Amino acid sequence: MKLIKLDEIKYSLKNLKNRKLRSFLSVLSILIGITAVFALVSFGMGIQAYMDELGEQAGVDKLYVQPKGAGMPGMDENFYLTQDDIDFVAKIKGVDDITGMYFKSGELRFRDQVKYYFVIGMDVKELEFLMEGFNIDIEKGRDLKKGDMNKVVLGYNYLLEKRIFDKPLKVGDKVELNGEDFEVVGFYSEVGNPADDAQIYVTLEAFEELYPENAGQFSYVMLSAEKGVDTGELADKITDKLRKFKDQEEGEEDFFVQTFEDIIETFGSIITILNGILILIALISLIVASVNIMNTMYTAVLERTKEIGIMKAVGARNSNILFVFVFESGFLGMVGGILGVGLGFTVASIGGAVAAGAGYSLLKPIFPWYLIIGCILFSFLVGALSGLMPAIRASKQKPVDSLRYE
Amino acid sequence: MFADYLRIAIRSLVKRKMRTYLTMIGIFIGIAAVVSLIGLGQGLRIAITSQFGILGTDILSVQASGTSFGPPGSGAVTPITKDLIDKIEKINGVDIAFARYIESGTMEFNDEQAIGLAVSVPEGDKRKIIEKMLNLKTEQGRLLRDDDTKGVVLGNDFKKDDTFGRGISSGDKILLNDIEFRVVGILEKKGSFMFDQSVLVNEQSMIDFLETDEDEVDIIAVKVKNEREIDAVKERIEKLLRKERDVDIGEEDFEVQSPQAMLESLDSALFAVQLFITIIALISLLVGGIGIMNTMYTAVLERTKEIGIMKSIGARNRTIFTLFFIESGLLGMVGGIIGIILGMIFAYGLAAIGRLVLGADLIQASIGFNLIIGALAFSFVLGTIFGVLPAIRASKLNPVDSLRATK
Repeated sequence: MKLIKLDEIKYSLKNLKNRKLRSFLSVLSILIGITAVFALVSFGMGIQAYMDELGEQAGVDKLYVQPKGAGMPGMDENFYLTQDDIDFVAKIKGVDDITGMYFKSGELRFRDQVKYYFVIGMDVKELEFLMEGFNIDIEKGRDLKKGDMNKVVLGYNYLLEKRIFDKPLKVGDKVELNGEDFEVVGFYSEVGNPADDAQIYVTLEAFEELYPENAGQFSYVMLSAEKGVDTGELADKITDKLRKFKDQEEGEEDFFVQTFEDIIETFGSIITILNGILILIALISLIVASVNIMNTMYTAVLERTKEIGIMKAVGARNSNILFVFVFESGFLGMVGGILGVGLGFTVASIGGAVAAGAGYSLLKPIFPWYLIIGCILFSFLVGALSGLMPAIRASKQKPVDSLRYE
Repeated sequence: MFADYLRIAIRSLVKRKMRTYLTMIGIFIGIAAVVSLIGLGQGLRIAITSQFGILGTDILSVQASGTSFGPPGSGAVTPITKDLIDKIEKINGVDIAFARYIESGTMEFNDEQAIGLAVSVPEGDKRKIIEKMLNLKTEQGRLLRDDDTKGVVLGNDFKKDDTFGRGISSGDKILLNDIEFRVVGILEKKGSFMFDQSVLVNEQSMIDFLETDEDEVDIIAVKVKNEREIDAVKERIEKLLRKERDVDIGEEDFEVQSPQAMLESLDSALFAVQLFITIIALISLLVGGIGIMNTMYTAVLERTKEIGIMKSIGARNRTIFTLFFIESGLLGMVGGIIGIILGMIFAYGLAAIGRLVLGADLIQASIGFNLIIGALAFSFVLGTIFGVLPAIRASKLNPVDSLRATK
């Protein structure tokens, strides 16, 4: 039995080779579809992996309290959290460290250029901790130190030419922040998105001097849970207690509490949905490719009607014929898949490099082995399934009629 | 002559029904995807941009620069000051200028509270102008008057029960930042959140009761006398503001823009997304094109003998080429027509489902005449392009060899 299968395979391959052009076109059509799907999925998986890593490192025990309000947190001066709120939350059981964070847009001047980006003011120890969690180091210079006034640490993009300012900045440069002289003492390494890589970091004290009218009005409060405390439960507890403290009714709080996991999940699910839509659209091309293969196979069945008749006459069973044709189309699909994965790998790698060049190094495709194997297997299946109907037709032909076919 | 070509092409397509059918499926799936995606994208762009319903090509807005999240003015570093309004009004070509304050705060009604934005309406003569500019009309009650010290006009969405558990109607009392205001009117529904969720308060009431800083203006709206001069007026305003705020060219900490220009930049960002999605959908058309090529090569192979006969009785290479060329073009075009119809059904169907499920008009389909003609032409061109190579092969067949071909 095994020997027969081998013969059948050889016969299939010979047939494919006999109609090179048509086989090539069928492979080409499935190749294109697999390339698109493979590249898109590899990007989606890359982002997912980045988020998972972030979730694990940065913040299983982190929670954020944010004021509600219109627009982005920190943009609305009428809603904020006060030092009293922070002191109150600090006393809730299960809360370990807590710190307020200021967040406001600022005007940064270097030589003759002015740019507007966000200024973040927070406790230096917490800042260091936050950055560590995101795997961000100091690229050049040093971290902020407690009591640093008129000192600023900048995001990675300030180091680049023509990204933010025409000239790259270096440690020791003098800049003006909201008209005050500041010295650049350090730069963070790359986060991978243009917004975060353009941020301006100062100490709490320096921020309060820059924006005296906003002193004590925090845009974010960050806290970590004690070991072994469930962050979700803690978030509910803080919401409940802070609401009573602020004398607000349920559902009408002017703040909300989120765990770090919530934030990552929200962001992650948006990306997953967007990526999913793109993949769905790319899958359309695979459907078309499968129609093409079906077409090729129907033609092949028609052309080889007489041949099928002869094979049956000398004793081939229906299942032998079925196998020959399904194998043929599956093989076409698989070759397309292998080539498509190769091309998709190239396309995604180039795409990732282009994105990184544009400041989005976050968008990094990954190529786990199961994605590669999965794509090849999938294309084999697509090929085999599209060949199934033609193969069934071939296998059911009556030998007598087939032999008579002209 | 052409009619003969056409008849022969159609006859040979009909003869191998299955293959013709499958090839066309490949094309119409792709065309349907492209047409419906472009249509939905177009609809979405219209839906989004129509949310910003400021009409008029004779309007400029002046804002302080800053990071651009949140409501206008909220990210500003150095706010625009009130004294600039009079100065801008004196500029040659400016008809009128007025302040718009935007303030966030709480609103309470029926013992329920919500957070939102209140926008100011200027008093006196300027009131008429903004009412006309924004085409404000009330469905209930009336618009604000100068003597409405604690009056408010609300957008149409507040009539619904969802925000406060009970709809608000004109005459009701609401609390803004815990101060009681009387609802004097409800605006007509406009289908744009800017209007339908607006909370309009007199400028003076906003300063007196909602703690708005009179000197920090969020936007100055400027109406120019002649819209053809809008660019010149824009430059004059920029010059004045540079002088007043003591900044050099290239260092401006403010922006003078026409709402039209802002809309255009938003629209071009949306267009980029739409383009990317369309390109991915176009991949399937490429695959469909390869399908046509495959079918046509097969057809040439099958009809080798036929071609040989035609040639031996005097058909020229050009005739054979045209024959096959028309055949593949037809495959593309018929596929395109079916695809356009399917795409329209899909897009409008999805929009209808979206309306039912979301209850909002955000998912809209807009399939214009241009798109239909474009898709049709594209599918025809696609068919012919992928048919060129097989047609060339057919035309170059040697009559003697072709006649000898077994099948």
